[in-house]
Amino acid sequence: MPDTEFNEEDVLNRAAQGESEAFGLLYERYIDRIFNYVYYRTGNLHDAEDLTARVFQRAMNHIKNYTDRGVPFSAWLYRIAHNLVANWHRDRSRRQEIPINDVPILPSKGDHPEKNLVRSQEEDSLLRLIRRLPPERQNLLILKFVENMSNAEIGAITGRSEGAVKSLYHRTLLSLRDQLGDQKINLDGE
Amino acid sequence: MKKNNPETPPKEEQLNALEEHLAGTLVPITPPSELVVRMRERIRVPQREEIVSQIGNWQRLFLVFGGVMSGFVLIVTVARTFFYFVARK
Repeated sequence: MPDTEFNEEDVLNRAAQGESEAFGLLYERYIDRIFNYVYYRTGNLHDAEDLTARVFQRAMNHIKNYTDRGVPFSAWLYRIAHNLVANWHRDRSRRQEIPINDVPILPSKGDHPEKNLVRSQEEDSLLRLIRRLPPERQNLLILKFVENMSNAEIGAITGRSEGAVKSLYHRTLLSLRDQLGDQKINLDGE
Repeated sequence: MKKNNPETPPKEEQLNALEEHLAGTLVPITPPSELVVRMRERIRVPQREEIVSQIGNWQRLFLVFGGVMSGFVLIVTVARTFFYFVARK
């Protein structure tokens, strides 16, 4: 739906009053973003589906409590997603299942992840390194590259200043570069 | 003192290359349409009839809960009466 036809404030008000159709519009608008975020944080489609559905279920149940404090609605959704993903990681570590770094990294490029299972070894290595980063750094990279957000937009979502996001991004790149060097991973495949 | 390896690219070049790889790795994916539909089904708001039927179930739940509590109080009363007479003897 084009932005000109979508008055988010109005839709949010209607959704808060229990209008399911309005919530449906929000769902359509944010489903891809939240799914991408959860997918890259978990690394598998099944859990990404389950957690994404739970994000929207929780949002629907609590949308009456949502108040516009100058941060975008997406920030509220990302916060819910972040909390659910954090719980998911905690539960996994308690159950001592497969370590997260060993989770097979599925899909990715293209519209249908399950049809594009081929990912280069270098990309797999890089994804595994990204998953070892602290959550706030993973969030930053996902929002920057997957969602293509500016530092200011990321700051609005993560509650940091634009400068703080820029600084964190630089430190994240340095850290990744060092880890690639430590593990002797050459991304150029040479 | 550590010497720079002349074959090692400068820091900025390394970071630029890393950014390019990140851009190629962290690509947006579109969830399959059937998955979107399935999730929509999971989060859909219950219809009015469903809410009414749930209230009907709650009434039944209250009846069952009330029955269990009444039975429990009755058992306690009988037990107390029994122990009252036993203690007197």
